[in-house]
Amino acid sequence: MSVIKRNNVTVRGRGERAMIFAHGFGCDQNMWRLVTPAFEDKFKIVLFDHVGAGGSDLKAYSREKYSRLDGYAEDLIEICNELALSDTIFVGHSVSSMIGVLAAAKAPQLFGALVLVGPSPRYINDDDYIGGFSASQIEELLDFLDSNHMGWSTAMAPTIMGNADRPDLGEELSNSFCRTDPEIAKHFARTTFMSDNRADLPRVSTPSLILQCSEDVIAPSSVGEYVHTHLPNSELVMMRATGHCPNLSAPEETIAAIRSFVDRR
Amino acid sequence: MSHEPEPTDDLEDLFENAPCGYLSIAPSGLIAKVNATFSTWTGFTQSDLVGRRFQDFLNVAGRIFYETHFAPLLRMQGFFNEVALDIVGRDGQRLPVLVNAVERRNVAGNLQFIRITVFNATDRRRYERELLDARAAVESANVALRELNVTLEARVAREVDERMKAEAALRQSQKMEAIGQLTGGVAHDFNNLLTIIIGGLDSIGRHIEKLPTSHELERMQRFRDMALHGARRAATLTARLLAFSRRQALDPKPLDANKLIAGLTDLLQRTLGETVALDVVAAAGLWLTLADPGELENALVNLAVNARDAMTDGGKLTIETANASLDDAYVSALTEPVAPGQYVLIAVSDTGCGMDQETLAKVFEPFFTTKEVGKGTGLGLSQVYGFTCQTGGHVHLYSKVGEGTTVRLYLPRAIGGEAIVRERNLTLVPIPHGGGETILLVEDDADLRDFSAGALRELGYQVLAVSSGPPALEVIRSATQIDLLFTDVVLPDGMNGRNLAAEALNHRTNLKVLFTTGYTRNAIVHHGRLEGGVHLIGKPFTFEELATKVRAVLDAPG
Repeated sequence: MSVIKRNNVTVRGRGERAMIFAHGFGCDQNMWRLVTPAFEDKFKIVLFDHVGAGGSDLKAYSREKYSRLDGYAEDLIEICNELALSDTIFVGHSVSSMIGVLAAAKAPQLFGALVLVGPSPRYINDDDYIGGFSASQIEELLDFLDSNHMGWSTAMAPTIMGNADRPDLGEELSNSFCRTDPEIAKHFARTTFMSDNRADLPRVSTPSLILQCSEDVIAPSSVGEYVHTHLPNSELVMMRATGHCPNLSAPEETIAAIRSFVDRR
Repeated sequence: MSHEPEPTDDLEDLFENAPCGYLSIAPSGLIAKVNATFSTWTGFTQSDLVGRRFQDFLNVAGRIFYETHFAPLLRMQGFFNEVALDIVGRDGQRLPVLVNAVERRNVAGNLQFIRITVFNATDRRRYERELLDARAAVESANVALRELNVTLEARVAREVDERMKAEAALRQSQKMEAIGQLTGGVAHDFNNLLTIIIGGLDSIGRHIEKLPTSHELERMQRFRDMALHGARRAATLTARLLAFSRRQALDPKPLDANKLIAGLTDLLQRTLGETVALDVVAAAGLWLTLADPGELENALVNLAVNARDAMTDGGKLTIETANASLDDAYVSALTEPVAPGQYVLIAVSDTGCGMDQETLAKVFEPFFTTKEVGKGTGLGLSQVYGFTCQTGGHVHLYSKVGEGTTVRLYLPRAIGGEAIVRERNLTLVPIPHGGGETILLVEDDADLRDFSAGALRELGYQVLAVSSGPPALEVIRSATQIDLLFTDVVLPDGMNGRNLAAEALNHRTNLKVLFTTGYTRNAIVHHGRLEGGVHLIGKPFTFEELATKVRAVLDAPG
């Protein structure tokens, strides 16, 4: 199985230095469609889908491997090695920002800079640490995922109906943006929201940019500040954009923040 | 219902009271307008809702998935349809809904607002839940069915295996039973004939003794001895046949197997010959066993003969005794019925050539022999088997080619009673004669009746001979003096010897009774064992044995 096919890797752009864009939980590489064009003239743009999302090879999904974010970080390192990349600028959204941190800890030579969009090393509150969710809320999320097979749209209905009965619904899923396999999405949710990578932050000295949105229910501002405090060589930018996906809701502001950072790296 | 002012026109009424919730979301992400229907469903007033975000009214899972899945989807494709979410109302109640969202942009392409339409999906969610539950039930039923099928195969295989074992055991026991019936029947007829032959030869001998000696007479004497020797060997064979068929009359007594073996050592060593060593390992504290001592000796001699023949180049025969307990698990694995409990074990092991499985399966059958023609009768192990089974014991035979053979006899433990002392009476005693007593002889076989009557008369008894029960009873009911009823057990005309004796004793309480039989089953024998006080002379009997037995019964007290 080639790494390129497994992770549906696409490469474009005219630059020498590579910028790797990694999507977060809930979407695929389409997530970056409003951002990457701004960098194509100066950088080699590398996009990919995590296994289980978008056009990745679903057969490569292993519950064991992807029960920890390390499994995803290994894939990222393999993509860099496959494309013979080094000193890259990694741009990770949401959970992928932590995947980038883990990869940089394992193979620092591959990463010259990290851009972390809405990062969270731990989603569950823990003593003085405010992750944004109580343990019971995450428990409720996981219970809900275990017991509720409805999925989140009719696109997931084929799972319960059987694809043979409703091929049209399956078609809708595959034609939409942000394709995710519902069962894998559930497992990815578990892996993501149960993760605790706080201890990994101090191990990474790669220059990093943290983009923190306002009113982000997934990763509140306190979390962005925590990451900034514990990631040795980091800058924190508080964005005017609200929500969890500034790359979609405020692409200009996102591009400007990234550009001003990478221009200095 | 609504706390808002009454709708002023038709379109306003349609917006406020449509069968779905309507929300307009400003580009800032905050609710700009919401209809009365949504307000009613959530329990929040419209002014409570305006200025909040739609996501704020979802459960935690919904909020997370909205932010990570559906908000990006809306941004990228401009809409999403039929997203299943749970709204959490003012007092915490959940409302399952389906949500559509679409971006409204102006001609310049700038976002004006997001229209969110919310449908009450309570019923649909319930159907889906039921559908899911039904599917899960089917899946778990399928799993259970598969497991059942898997275990079913194993269970069927086990049952079939057990059934086949049981059938094999049944076939084996039916075969042994059939052979037993056949051999028993043959032995019975032969015993009658042998009684006449041996009796005739006895008589010839006695008459020859009275004649003056001559060369011819000596030759006649020799031929007569040869004939008698042959007839006695034939009698031994029929006895073994009866033993196998478990129809011999056993006289089990409490005995000490160690002492019995000790008394038999000389004979066994002679049987084994010089090249085979005999080693007896007698257990201390051995229980008494309940068995017929004569037959047990026969069994041990038979085993010794077999062992000797298996050790043509010499070897060692070991006889060990031990107390043994057969538990439920052990006896349930046997092909024949054996009661669990305490047994006295006599193990006879040789260092001979051993047997293969095929031979082992047939080894107890009468006339089955691995020996050359003329070297063995094939009745030795049959006697061992029949005797042990009839005694209520169990034989286990272990053998492997090249590793010798071990025969384990499990004989029932005798509880209570004292061991009898086995004596060999080798001194010659004169033949006891009659003193003119009257004997009522009942025998259906005419030749045998004539022989017995002749012998008894020769011994000095008065004999009244009849062929069945009814004429015998007539005699008994008459005033005729009778001292002894000597009757065959098996009689025609619906009355066996036992019934006849019982009837006779009703009339003459002091009457002595002697039974004879070559084929003892139930008539006077319970489970193959004589009841106390019952006298029996087995066929074939010699003139001397008859004389001794009749005298003994007449002289017995009572």
